[in-house]
Amino acid sequence: MSRRRDSTSYQWSARGFIAPGVILVAVLLYAPLLWTTYLSFTEYNGLGDPDWVGLANYGAMFADPEFFGSLGNTLLWVAGTLIVPVGLGLGLALLTFDLKGGIWLRLPFLIPYAISGIGVGLIWSFILQSDGALDQALALVGVVDPPRWLLDAPLNTVVMILASSWQGVGVNALLFTIGLQSIPKEPLEAARLDGARGARLFGSILWPMLRPLTAVVIGLSIVASLKTFDIVQGMTKGGPGRASETLALTMYKDTFVNSDYGLGSAIAVFLTIVTLVASVLYLRQQLSKKNEI
Amino acid sequence: MSRSIRTAVLIVAGIIWLLPVYLLVINAAKSPADFTSKEAWLPNGFALFENMSDALSLSGLGDAVFSTLIYSVVSPIIAVLVGAAAGFAIVALRLKHGFAWFVVIFGGTVFPLQMVLIPLFDGYSRVGLFDTRLGMVLVYTAISVPFSAFVMRNFFSGIAHNVFEAAVVDGASTLRIFLRVYIPMAMSALVAIFILQATFVWNDLLLGLTLSQSDDVRPIVTTLSGMQSTYGGAQLSTVLAAGILVSLPTVVLFLFTQKFFAKGLALGQY
Repeated sequence: MSRRRDSTSYQWSARGFIAPGVILVAVLLYAPLLWTTYLSFTEYNGLGDPDWVGLANYGAMFADPEFFGSLGNTLLWVAGTLIVPVGLGLGLALLTFDLKGGIWLRLPFLIPYAISGIGVGLIWSFILQSDGALDQALALVGVVDPPRWLLDAPLNTVVMILASSWQGVGVNALLFTIGLQSIPKEPLEAARLDGARGARLFGSILWPMLRPLTAVVIGLSIVASLKTFDIVQGMTKGGPGRASETLALTMYKDTFVNSDYGLGSAIAVFLTIVTLVASVLYLRQQLSKKNEI
Repeated sequence: MSRSIRTAVLIVAGIIWLLPVYLLVINAAKSPADFTSKEAWLPNGFALFENMSDALSLSGLGDAVFSTLIYSVVSPIIAVLVGAAAGFAIVALRLKHGFAWFVVIFGGTVFPLQMVLIPLFDGYSRVGLFDTRLGMVLVYTAISVPFSAFVMRNFFSGIAHNVFEAAVVDGASTLRIFLRVYIPMAMSALVAIFILQATFVWNDLLLGLTLSQSDDVRPIVTTLSGMQSTYGGAQLSTVLAAGILVSLPTVVLFLFTQKFFAKGLALGQY
């Protein structure tokens, strides 16, 4: 049975096997994608027909100071989730590496990961509300006038980033642990015999070998943080006013609360472009680093 | 750092990490009559199950549980099979331009969900799928397919092509080979994808918020979000109990299948 024969004899059957996937994705993902792009050039409130207005929605989007507030918050999310959960995740993976019972010691950090964004938002709103659990704990140590955690910007965005980090650290630690376990044992043993410990072992052996994985974790984290929605919706609904909105939330509100589909679509397109640029940048970086090694 | 110091640091950090969970549980267990947000750190009574059943009856959460179970079981199962079929077509049947078709399917994950919300809402309203379980199952399936195709294509690439050829020699049809040979071999990968996608569907907020409205179609997380904003006529302790109820299935599933999950995640990264 030659290769050439299989590659021609099952073509009809193969098309049948791939068709359901292609049709589902084309109808429910790609067609809507194109339609949203089209809508971003129109004025549309969901009733009647969309009216072509060219770039007017993009003009309105960039003229709106709220948009820049929302963009700023989104960038803060990107920076914050890069530093806190990725950094702590790496630290946690290093601490549990090679440790007996490491899997059990990591468990407390993994539990929050399985909780939904809304669930995490619910817990942390309860903790951070005025006179909530955190303020009560602070009162015990003599802090009588605690910050208004969820009411002042940009503090509310910062505490939400910490809440989201509480959820995300465990899974980053898990990914880094998988990375650490895949490092070949010989160079590690050799370095240890040469007396490398702690920071030196990390700097000269572990970190360089983890770099490709780090690029993946960072890339995923950037892309996910650009789309931040659940936790903000759960904790502040973007408020007070619109002070803690992210782009994903602004898009949702403009579309489904204000029925401005054109503007909502323009924000979605903007968000997509930023996400694609970020993905390409990190993929390129990841690929070039792989080439170096 | 010596091992014992590391262990000690981890134990302390782990306890700190679980404090929010402790707060959630003790406050969800306070009966609405005794509940005061003044003593958040002290346990007081055990009315957790009463609060959970109140939550189920008060805010349509009970109806949502059933729908969400359907979404998070049916959609990932279909998606896993559809993705496996795509991988089978590309790898075993050597579909022409197979890689290009794979990119078409996988490309579905590249864009933020926000890009499909408006047309789905609009289109669903026109064809009568808005606020229906069928509509929700369809969209969750479509979203889960690209990742499933990705993992399954990788998985099937690791199976020698002789396996396929031997089955052909035995006279089996392609459908039979797929169902009787390839699917059984891929069980572990299929389960890993299923767990990941079921967790994703169970925890989805955005699609539920956009494409559904009534209590018996709305996914559970979306219902919880609604309860939280108004307290839905319920007391805070009831809402917290609802939060536990909503989170419990994914936490349990996740802890019991940690190894599978880790493997699935590792597969998804590369």
